[in-house]
Amino acid sequence: MSLILNNETLSYKDKTVLKDISLSIQKGEKVALLGKSGSGKSTLLKRLYELNASQISYIPQELGLVNTLSVFHNIYISQLDKYSTFYNIRNLIKPSPNQIDIISPLLDELYMSDLIFTKCGELSGGQKQRTAIARAILQNKKILLADEPISALDEFVTKKVLNSIDNTFDTIVCALHNVDVALEYYDRVIGIKDGQIVLDKACDQITPEDTQKLYHVCDDQF
Amino acid sequence: MYAMTSSKNLNVTLIFLFVFFISILNADFSISTLDPIAEIKNFFGGILEIDISKTPTYFDAILNTIAIAIVAIFISSILGFFFALYFKYALLRVSLAFTRAIHELFWALLFLQIFGLNTLTALLAIILPYSATLGKVYAEILEEHDVFPKELESKKASRISLFLFTKLPDAMPHLISYTLYRFECALKSTAILGFVGLTTLGYYLQGSFMQGFYGEVWLILIIFYLIIATIKFWFTKISAPFLLLASFLYLDDFSGFNMDNLIRFITIDVVPSPIRNELGTLKIYQWFENIVMNELLPGIFNTLVLTQIALIVTAVITLLSFPLVSKKFVSPSLRFGGNILLVILRSTPEYILAYLFLQIFGPSMFPAVVALALHNGAIIGHIMGHQSNELVLRADVTKRRMELYGFEVLPRIYGSFLAFLFYRWEVIMRESAILGILGIHTLGFFIDSAIADIRLDKVVILLLFTALLNILVDFISQKVRNYLRLSTTVKSECCSL
Repeated sequence: MSLILNNETLSYKDKTVLKDISLSIQKGEKVALLGKSGSGKSTLLKRLYELNASQISYIPQELGLVNTLSVFHNIYISQLDKYSTFYNIRNLIKPSPNQIDIISPLLDELYMSDLIFTKCGELSGGQKQRTAIARAILQNKKILLADEPISALDEFVTKKVLNSIDNTFDTIVCALHNVDVALEYYDRVIGIKDGQIVLDKACDQITPEDTQKLYHVCDDQF
Repeated sequence: MYAMTSSKNLNVTLIFLFVFFISILNADFSISTLDPIAEIKNFFGGILEIDISKTPTYFDAILNTIAIAIVAIFISSILGFFFALYFKYALLRVSLAFTRAIHELFWALLFLQIFGLNTLTALLAIILPYSATLGKVYAEILEEHDVFPKELESKKASRISLFLFTKLPDAMPHLISYTLYRFECALKSTAILGFVGLTTLGYYLQGSFMQGFYGEVWLILIIFYLIIATIKFWFTKISAPFLLLASFLYLDDFSGFNMDNLIRFITIDVVPSPIRNELGTLKIYQWFENIVMNELLPGIFNTLVLTQIALIVTAVITLLSFPLVSKKFVSPSLRFGGNILLVILRSTPEYILAYLFLQIFGPSMFPAVVALALHNGAIIGHIMGHQSNELVLRADVTKRRMELYGFEVLPRIYGSFLAFLFYRWEVIMRESAILGILGIHTLGFFIDSAIADIRLDKVVILLLFTALLNILVDFISQKVRNYLRLSTTVKSECCSL
């Protein structure tokens, strides 16, 4: 299962953001997508998601959490199609012990076990991101497309979260704007600037020049 | 003052002022009572004659008012919720627009003819317009809180599950708070139903008014304010189910319901009499022309005149009253007084205010305008005062109050002021029509007279056009708000409108 784009032009709100993009991501690849905000990373991820929605877990930048529901419920949401409506409603009113047993270990791994019944509206930015990641993990799909899912996490938690994701999904495309994290945790980096792919290389072939280029791509100052 | 508003705001303001002056020329502002000052003295003198020991006299009316309001809002919220789910269907939207465009008092007058003076009439009169309003607002709230990304919605999950997990939780607090606000309105509406003979608080209020027992009037009004002001203490999450059950058990007066009456109403009474009596097309045309010339046109004209005058006077009252409750303009002690004044004016339904002013000044547009403007002006003034408190101004802002008002505060809130005013326009129009029952020649006057003559065919025609007029005003109001780019959706603040 691979994700392929052939000479596609992508627009966001009737404005062209990416022109004549060609891209191929093979099964098993772990890809970091680099670029400053507004460069078109989200538009590209959304397009990749549309290619094969049923096989993909997707974490949008705005996360899509229901603020008035608890962390438990927000994670449970990813399996609404697995159970009957009746069972879903039962868990909405009172979470069943079985489901708590399924969801707790996920939260342990993300250092959030004590927050399982906290409403999402009361969480910090980083905690919200981890909730969305746990939701994606529980979905049990092969591919993950994530839009800056770790921007609010500290270094220690980042490491833990990236490892969890890495162990769960075969194929990952993750938008980031931290070049060092991208080079350390991913196999391949794609840099986007001015509506074009300016760099697309395996991480072990990156030269110091490439690294400089990537820093430039991600820096909002330029 | 004018330079500060955007040119669009200015255009709209000028157009409405122009319509206002035209309306003034056509309005009857006479004062027909011999000595209004004495009437005012009598009324306020009543405060000294309040006899608390009479309170038990009103226990039945109090319980009746509360029970009807609780049962009505319960049924309305369930119906409204289902309406909201199917709000995308145009036929439903149009039917609901019609149902809520007709005032609950008109519904009551109509149902009185069918079911008689009993609880069923009262319940239906509230439930019909309220469920239609709740349906529309619930639909808007659900749409506003439909923020869950479509990409994350599994196509395979049941729609009910998705709705319950991804839409309802966000919207729920807003649905509940709007329903509670509507419950307060339902209590007021139920009390008012007493004015057409149903045994709620308004029944006794009218009785005491007519006999000039102002001490009793004050006692009933105070009881009424207390009930409204303490809702949050007696209507809680825990008490609500018990109150609901008790209310269902308490309401028992369903006597007089007669299926034959209903059938006769639908098949005979509402059919235009020339058709019923097979008098031929010419007679039908004459019958209709008579209604149009003698009742419909004058009624619509007077209703519009009253509405437009009341709208502008409401605006003036708002602009004058909001500084009274604003931290930016007055001291805490004055603000306390201002708040009490506005709360009283807000909590007294315009119908009761109009009734009072009519006793004092006699039937003309003057008391009606005063009542509508004081009530609505207090509502908007309260919200505006609140908004002005939220404004953060520079440290070196002018200390002179007039300059502060004209240059700093009003320009910043003028847009929302217009939004609230136009939001309220349709309500003022509906009330203008209903105040006809009190003797001003708006649509309500002709409807009430037709009912007194038992000409139900005419009543139905007049109600139909009353509803159409209201829908038209609502439509124009939306267009104006769009033109001014004012938000048209329900915000938390609009809930108190």
